[in-house]
Amino acid sequence: MQLLSDNAYRSQFTVRTMDQIDELTTRQLHNLGIQTGSLINVVRFYPFHGPVVIQVDQQRIALRYRIYQQLVGGH
Amino acid sequence: MATVALLGNPNTGKTTLFNELTDKYAYVGNWTGVTVEKKMGTLRHTKIAVVDLPGVYSLNPITKDESVAIEYLLHGDPDLILNVTNASQLKRNLLLTIELLEFGTPVIIALNMIDDLNRTNVTYDLPTLAQRLHCQLKATNARNKKGVAQLRDGLVASLTELPPATALHITYPTLVEQGITQAAKKLVADHGMTPDFARWLTIQFMNQNQTIRAYAQAHDLTPLLQSAPFYDAQNFENQIFTTRLTFIEDTLTAARRQNTPTSQSELTNKIDRWVTNPILGLPIFVVIFYLMFKLSFDWIGTPLSDGLNALLSGPVSHGANSLLTSLGALPFLKSLIVDGVIAGVGGVLTFMPQIFVLFACISILEDSGYMARAALVTDRLMQMIGLNGKSFIPLIIGFGCNVTGIMATRTIEQPKERLITTLISPFMSCSARLPIYSLFVAAFFARNQALVVLSIYFLGIAVALIMAKIYQIAFKVKGNSNFMIELPQYHLPRPDIILQGTWDKGKGFVKKAGTIIFAGTVLIWLLSNLSFHGPVTDIDQSLAADLGRWLLPVFAPLGVGSWEIVSALLTGIMAKEVISSSMIVLFHFTGRTALVATFANLFTPLSAYALLVFILLYIPCFSTLATIKAETGSTKWTIYSAVSSFVIAYGLAFLIYQVGSLFI
Repeated sequence: MQLLSDNAYRSQFTVRTMDQIDELTTRQLHNLGIQTGSLINVVRFYPFHGPVVIQVDQQRIALRYRIYQQLVGGH
Repeated sequence: MATVALLGNPNTGKTTLFNELTDKYAYVGNWTGVTVEKKMGTLRHTKIAVVDLPGVYSLNPITKDESVAIEYLLHGDPDLILNVTNASQLKRNLLLTIELLEFGTPVIIALNMIDDLNRTNVTYDLPTLAQRLHCQLKATNARNKKGVAQLRDGLVASLTELPPATALHITYPTLVEQGITQAAKKLVADHGMTPDFARWLTIQFMNQNQTIRAYAQAHDLTPLLQSAPFYDAQNFENQIFTTRLTFIEDTLTAARRQNTPTSQSELTNKIDRWVTNPILGLPIFVVIFYLMFKLSFDWIGTPLSDGLNALLSGPVSHGANSLLTSLGALPFLKSLIVDGVIAGVGGVLTFMPQIFVLFACISILEDSGYMARAALVTDRLMQMIGLNGKSFIPLIIGFGCNVTGIMATRTIEQPKERLITTLISPFMSCSARLPIYSLFVAAFFARNQALVVLSIYFLGIAVALIMAKIYQIAFKVKGNSNFMIELPQYHLPRPDIILQGTWDKGKGFVKKAGTIIFAGTVLIWLLSNLSFHGPVTDIDQSLAADLGRWLLPVFAPLGVGSWEIVSALLTGIMAKEVISSSMIVLFHFTGRTALVATFANLFTPLSAYALLVFILLYIPCFSTLATIKAETGSTKWTIYSAVSSFVIAYGLAFLIYQVGSLFI
């Protein structure tokens, strides 16, 4: 397994769609100010597809790699 | 009496503000979920009641903790809402604000942590915000008390002269608006609601708020229930969210002003570069917790404990003895007080310094904002057993004391994960179990002491992880739990908050020493000094001996051959510390050296190890069971925890002894 997945790495991206994400997670993301159109800065990845630290509107948030992938998904 | 309700997102400094505003102090932590239930206080120099509600992101609850807020709005009837916001996170904080403004009760908004905002290059014009939101705003910074007095005056002024309740009306998309108007009109006509409340209720109902949906069912609100499928099919929830967001962005754009930053503080980012480093994060976490245990058990806690122990077993015990003798107390009563209560309760109280130092360390970690980072760096490990990073902290704390570990599970949002963490916590080998380990390893494994003890600790962890995995499957927990956590700005811990936090956490332990541990100690003393025919001087004829002999056949397959061991194990349910002292009492020895020699005749190394495994895993102590009851609110789970851990302990010890016997 790769330590850090470079091909998935983007330092900055815009959330195009949140359709793949389940309702509860969408609500949690909305609560933290992440929605379609949000500009997200990727701060840090953890090894073995561990959590990803992102920054939205000055706020740092850690979330699971799977959710990060779904957020990037639109690309 | 007038009531003010405090509502706001997590990490807005809401509880700090509550403490600054009120006379009574409530617990504070820079970590999501610290306020687990509503707390009451009175506004300083007034009789106005202030209610602190758990931090919520919206009125639509995701966890059980969060539902307290919406339940309170429905049934609490506050006169004024104080909406605490994080000034530098206004965009998402205002989502909750809108829901509160729509409710119709007068709202005052506190732009808290204003100092953090002033460090950015953006600021907001308060009059513009007030005009757009139709409510008062006050800038505060609760940690250094800035603006708190003005906010308090504002609250008092608003309550003495209540502003007319004007609910905020945002215009939602046409279809949504039509739905709201239709339903609200019927609710006003048929159910006698005020127009504002009817509108708010309808919007919340459309927004898939499960508490409101249940409320509609309970009150038979047909206008809403009938239309539910239509609302959901049209995805009104999303339309409402988008409209609100647009409204917030317009409002903030209108109020936004350029700001010259006071000082560009990058402190949080600098610390995080090390503390949350993908490679170094985990080792740093281990070092921080190692230091915490060193402080609690080596550097500060244990010396203090030893001092307290010397005081209690020396002057206090002797003093009580001679006082009772001079008063002419019955020998029976004297023995109960000196050998029972002072030795037993005192023995447990000597752990107080260690526990308080541990709590102080945990309070510092919480108040500084580190706990969120600890959850982050351990998340990947916990993911493997279906838990998340937020479960790791309680388990680590459990090495000190299972009681505090279980109390720390409050920070876990998902109820199932919280329950699982609670159930596996007792398998963490707490410090109270160490004395009995050291007794046995000294007798049987003199050459490999550390290794054997370490293997017991790791066995505890292994059992905990395996059980977590089993519960994950049994409770049908989704394979991927949603780990999502805010990383708040670091704060320099404030000594008064640390002291208060330490006391709030530790006072329960002191209280328990006076109740459950006291009761347990008296019970054990009575059992070993009474028979069915009255007081006995020979412990062999006591009830404890009868009970031990009666249960001995149960323990024989584990390699236990004497009733004293069985009785000592029973006393261990009161508190694990008691096992070794019970053995000393029951075997009529004065110290541990003689006991170690006796063990050689009673055990083989194999049966000794099997017994240690049994002691590691069997029924949690009374305090832990009481905590499980308090935290889960369920007698069923408490009994389950006791029974299941006994079965696991028995099974594993049985396996080790029986299988081992085949080879040795």
